[in-house]
Amino acid sequence: MNLLNGPEFGRLQGAINAAEMRQRVIANNIANVDTPKFKRSEVVFEQLLEQSMGSGAFQIAGKRTNPKHIPIGSSSSVPQAQVITDEVSVMNNDTNNVDIDREMSLLAKNQLNYNFYVQQMNHDVKMMRIGIEGRG
Amino acid sequence: MKLTNGFDASASALTAQRLRMDVISSNIANAETTRASYVNGRYEPYKRKMVVLEPTSQSFADTLNSQMNGSSQTPGVKATKIIEDSTPLKLVYNPTHPDADENGYVKMPNVDVLKEMVDMISASRSYEANVTAMNATKGMFVKALEIGK
Repeated sequence: MNLLNGPEFGRLQGAINAAEMRQRVIANNIANVDTPKFKRSEVVFEQLLEQSMGSGAFQIAGKRTNPKHIPIGSSSSVPQAQVITDEVSVMNNDTNNVDIDREMSLLAKNQLNYNFYVQQMNHDVKMMRIGIEGRG
Repeated sequence: MKLTNGFDASASALTAQRLRMDVISSNIANAETTRASYVNGRYEPYKRKMVVLEPTSQSFADTLNSQMNGSSQTPGVKATKIIEDSTPLKLVYNPTHPDADENGYVKMPNVDVLKEMVDMISASRSYEANVTAMNATKGMFVKALEIGK
């Protein structure tokens, strides 16, 4: 049975987790907008997912003939979202680099993305329910 | 479910910004106070106060965890202390003032009301931004409850 364990469900789950993590990180950035020497962080997930799905730039993929092989390059597993801290750029005199306009727009974008993921997940569940019950 | 930590970050920032607001109110209220403290038989004028903000410090376990799998992060901000501004006090010539010295000069607080107003706008805007972030987190949380409905 592969009802709720399909790749699209895994990806959606990964995306929802990443959006949650991004929400936390953005909330932290906004909270520290007036803190001297604070450096902003951001969450990388979509690029990693794109790389792992192989639709990004050309990359070498190892062929797996045994499930115990370590995947090289393109794989079906969903990548883990990562937090990276921007230590380079400077915004203010106090070397804080939080741009509040950018953070607020990222916040709005993340909220919409999250709603979209949840809606897509609900849609998948609904389609599955139609398949099980045999009617619309 | 780690979503609630977004609340914690915003909540700590609301507290910090409100403290900034309180300190700014105190500065504006005492902009003309010449008798804030009594030192060595003389009255000292009020000195401008400032809030020191710091990111919430991470424990060793948090730092290790975030380096190992990039997930855990203790978010938020905290006000560590309130310091006094060391800029020189203003000397105003006013011989009729009860606290005037023998030359007729009065030491006035080093509060610049204009500066305080600018800080006040900054604090209140930051407060608003954090309320918006909190509402966004709340909206996402409510949306997550709809999964599978």
